[in-house]
Amino acid sequence: MRLYWTTLAAQWRGALVLAGCSVLESVPAFLSGRLVERSVNAGFAAGRPWPGVAWLLVFAAVSVLGAFGSRLVWQRLGEIIEPLRDALVRAIVRGVLGGSAPQRSRPDASGVARITQHVEVVRDATAGLLVQARGMVVTTVAALAGLFSVAVELAWLVAIPVLLSLAVFACLLPTLASRQRALTLADEHTAEAAGTVLTGMRDVVACGAEAAAVASVFGEIGKQETAAVRMGTATAARTLVIAVGGFVPLLLVLALAPGMVASGQLTAGAALGAVVYLSATLRPALQGLAATTSTVVLRLLVALRRLSESCPVPEAEDGTAEPRDGTVGVRGVTFGWGEHAEPIVRDLDLELEPGDHLAIVGPSGIGKSTFAGLLTGMLRPQRGQVLLGGEPVTEIRPALRHRLVAFTPQESYVFAGTVRENLALLAPSATDARLLAAAERVGAAALVDRLGGLYGELGHAAEGLSAGEAQLLSLARLYASPAEVIVLDEASSHLDPAAEARAEWAFAERGGVLVVIAHRLSSAVRANRVLVMDGRETLLGSHDELLSSAPAYAELMRAWTVPVSPRAALPATRAAAR
Amino acid sequence: MKSLRAQRHAVPPREPKAGRRVGPNTVNAPDRLLLDTVRHSGYRVVLLMLAAAVAAAAGLLLPDALAGAVDATVSGERSWPQVLWLLAVGGAEIAADVAAAMLTARVTAADTAWLRRRLTRHLARLGTASPYPDGDAVSRLTTDCTGAGTVASTLVQLGSAVVVSTGAVTLLAVLDWRLAVVFLVSVPLALRLARSHLRLTADDLTAYQRVSGELSARLLDAVSGLRTIAAAGLGERESARVLRPLPQLSAAGAGMWHTQARMVWKAGLLLPAVELAVLGAAGFGVLAGRLSVGDVLAALGYVALGMSLVGQVPQLTNLSRARSCAGRLVEVLDTAPPEEGTFRLPAGPGTVELRGVRVGEVLRDVDLTVPGGSTVAVVGRSGSGKSALTAVLGGLRRPDSGEVLLDGVPVERTRTEELRTAVGYAFERPVLLGATVADAVAYGSWAGSAAVERACRTAQVHDLVVRLPEGYANPLGHTPLSGGEAQRVGLARAVVRNPRLLVLDDATASLDTVTEARVERAIGEALPGRTRVVVTHRAGTASRADRVIWLADGRVRGVAPHDVLWAEPDYRAVFTESAEGTEGTDP
Repeated sequence: MRLYWTTLAAQWRGALVLAGCSVLESVPAFLSGRLVERSVNAGFAAGRPWPGVAWLLVFAAVSVLGAFGSRLVWQRLGEIIEPLRDALVRAIVRGVLGGSAPQRSRPDASGVARITQHVEVVRDATAGLLVQARGMVVTTVAALAGLFSVAVELAWLVAIPVLLSLAVFACLLPTLASRQRALTLADEHTAEAAGTVLTGMRDVVACGAEAAAVASVFGEIGKQETAAVRMGTATAARTLVIAVGGFVPLLLVLALAPGMVASGQLTAGAALGAVVYLSATLRPALQGLAATTSTVVLRLLVALRRLSESCPVPEAEDGTAEPRDGTVGVRGVTFGWGEHAEPIVRDLDLELEPGDHLAIVGPSGIGKSTFAGLLTGMLRPQRGQVLLGGEPVTEIRPALRHRLVAFTPQESYVFAGTVRENLALLAPSATDARLLAAAERVGAAALVDRLGGLYGELGHAAEGLSAGEAQLLSLARLYASPAEVIVLDEASSHLDPAAEARAEWAFAERGGVLVVIAHRLSSAVRANRVLVMDGRETLLGSHDELLSSAPAYAELMRAWTVPVSPRAALPATRAAAR
Repeated sequence: MKSLRAQRHAVPPREPKAGRRVGPNTVNAPDRLLLDTVRHSGYRVVLLMLAAAVAAAAGLLLPDALAGAVDATVSGERSWPQVLWLLAVGGAEIAADVAAAMLTARVTAADTAWLRRRLTRHLARLGTASPYPDGDAVSRLTTDCTGAGTVASTLVQLGSAVVVSTGAVTLLAVLDWRLAVVFLVSVPLALRLARSHLRLTADDLTAYQRVSGELSARLLDAVSGLRTIAAAGLGERESARVLRPLPQLSAAGAGMWHTQARMVWKAGLLLPAVELAVLGAAGFGVLAGRLSVGDVLAALGYVALGMSLVGQVPQLTNLSRARSCAGRLVEVLDTAPPEEGTFRLPAGPGTVELRGVRVGEVLRDVDLTVPGGSTVAVVGRSGSGKSALTAVLGGLRRPDSGEVLLDGVPVERTRTEELRTAVGYAFERPVLLGATVADAVAYGSWAGSAAVERACRTAQVHDLVVRLPEGYANPLGHTPLSGGEAQRVGLARAVVRNPRLLVLDDATASLDTVTEARVERAIGEALPGRTRVVVTHRAGTASRADRVIWLADGRVRGVAPHDVLWAEPDYRAVFTESAEGTEGTDP
């Protein structure tokens, strides 16, 4: 994710401070070998205890100094990490909520949870990188520098193996990363395969396909096992490279130093100091570096990649047209999901004037909500045009379109905040009186009172509200909006029939164009025009016209129209079937 | 339609049938499972222990080998015998470490996979009687199996850490008992410094998590209202609303780092403090001539090894986590699956009889007979028990009391494979499984490609399938299907098994009326004389059935032809709801 690196780069001031702290942190590692050597050679081994103790006390003081350095690092960490996390969260929330694309490509609740988790991993891993991995690098470099300052003659014996092993380790990193990613994917596939079978258990049992279902999960379990073993092998290779890189210098120094000491090239003290640097400081630091860097870097890379894969980028909306009036025109519209799918609407024509009240009826899953998406400009038809005030609805200036066309789906949007904030969502400048009047009109006045009036507080996830009450709030919000075209997509499905009728009448008297996607057929009886969506054909007419001309509609409406029907209606249906 | 699973979870598992946990004596069951897991790894875990033992032994020998080489070096003597010994010891340690790393990965992966296979098999055996929600079962299969699968490596690591630490202290004592005393006294003191930080960060973490949770809850609210937000173009404004607590999160996060800063640096002093104490003591040992210069280095090495146990504290957490994970696995594995039936199904017309069937609160006192070869519609408002009734017919769900007979044989005691061939199910929202479209239709049956195609023609979905890029071989994951299309594939899946009883649970709800009638006729032609039970919300469909079973509040309100029931206003009212799948009305 580019955002990650740019945000991190923007924190260069914090990085400079970290570099300063690192110098402080490096002091004990830089001096460790020298001080131990002094304390032994100039002190205890020379028969003088107090200088020995004094050198150790210096070492202690230096250690405190180093620890203080790491304390400063932790303190400064927030200044780098928190802005980074903020930037990621901001970009993700905007990505999830922005744009006007239909809901199909958006993450669901579990997707949101996963994204949040990835962000936390990025935060932790970046912190780990800055604290541990940086600390290990500092220690390694400082120990090498200290070693050179004591015994520059041994420099190449030490530097070459260490650098070589670090280079090989760097070459291993891509393999490690790709295997880690393969493992993460294998984990996800296992969960997916199991999830598919478990959610489909009813179907698995009904098909007597338990064996096939188990086999499909076993396949993914086996792949996950292989991926884990491959990852383990790569990790073992990493262990080998770093361990050899830390051990070989020690061997070389111990093998060659006696000769150098004997020939006077090296003092015995310097040799001792070098061994202390190598065995007590450099080796552990190298091992820590390999372990933390590879785990932390891998976690970071995988999380960043998953984030950029799962986080949508909002698309900008454009359009400049200005509608002439509040009419809606549908001209020869055809739409289907994908090129192979059967179209949901085919060559549909429809004109709606202000004051028109259209009900859309049809079986569930037939595409009524998709049609609502076309009307509101959230979807673009494959053929034909949807016009608002004579202009294609998708070409209208977005802010204007959002003000003129208002839509409420079956699932209500109620958020934590005051009742007023919720009701004024589509009309932020509306007065309290207007909001209360809207609530009164759609039948939500008693509910608003119960919630403590306009300034009562609502909790998360519409807590304490029934689904019907949440719909009442959505309806009141919609009523209070300045929109001239209102689309209700089963927006009163959780209300009882009487409450639904009251709300629909209120909207019908409000003026403008009203489109109701019907949950109950009674909505069609109230409308002055009815659109029947029945898959292969769409029928348009008034309730009475359709009753007499469309057998399918007549059959749908039999419960109202024919009190007790003998088989008379049947031949008509059969005829239509052929 | 409510899914079968949703209803299943509403009803607690029943005694003494399926869903029962066996054995009150399950205290040690998690440990037994962990033991089985370790035992299952067999020779690999033995090899792992061997590698860990070699690594521990070499690690303990290394400081002394180093001391020998250093003494030789400092005195300027020939050092190669000591260096060779060091090479042998160090090489052995590295080789053993690498071997242990590889074996750990293998053992852990194999153990995890073994647990997952066991769990999967058991969940499949529990089938629709499983009392565990899907998400919960998946998390047991993924997270808990991973947690329990690490038990062998955790135990080996803990064991070798204990051996190394005690060995290091012993060797320190052999070197000079005073050093061991200094070490043992200084460690607890140093530990007390480090301990305090664990508690305090936990407090900070809760503050951070609280704000983080608030932010997630806001985002979830907004995600559930995404369609409203998108339609009104409120993306930016609602993002700002969701992000309102972000500064608080930053503040909590910064506070967390500050507290850590205050605490962590003391922990950083732990090792140097102990090292310096031992170094001082060793210095006096050199002074007194008890120790050589190399021995001082060896003492430093032993200190590092002795302290390694402190670094293994997280392994203790891992171990307790493995135990709790094993506990959750045992819970599933100890849930008794429904008993396998043994009765064979005689040839018959597919007559179904229900005698006093009760399913929780959903279905009560149902006595019914569906004559073989007839078509029966099941009608009722949402929540009236239609899906429970259809589930009971083919044994997808066991009644709490009463009996269901298919051609005279109790469904519950019929051999599963015979029952599955005898009863074909199609659902309103079928879950299609398998790799390709053809697989999805033939799922669980042995149907060949000709039979699959025939079934798809019957379900009026053949034309759609052949238009797909790869036709019947099109991968299911790349085949987006609308509700009605998926329903027809689901129908084909039921038809292909050629069952004597066909149960259509609202399985044509999303089809247009013309296609629905065609499907009905085609099924009649393809499977003549079979019993059909059809849940429907359409008056037309009900009127074409021989008889209608009218359900209300879990009871049979009437069984008669549609035209007879039509005289009842309550019956007509059932058909005034146009859309199904919602919760109905709120009081």
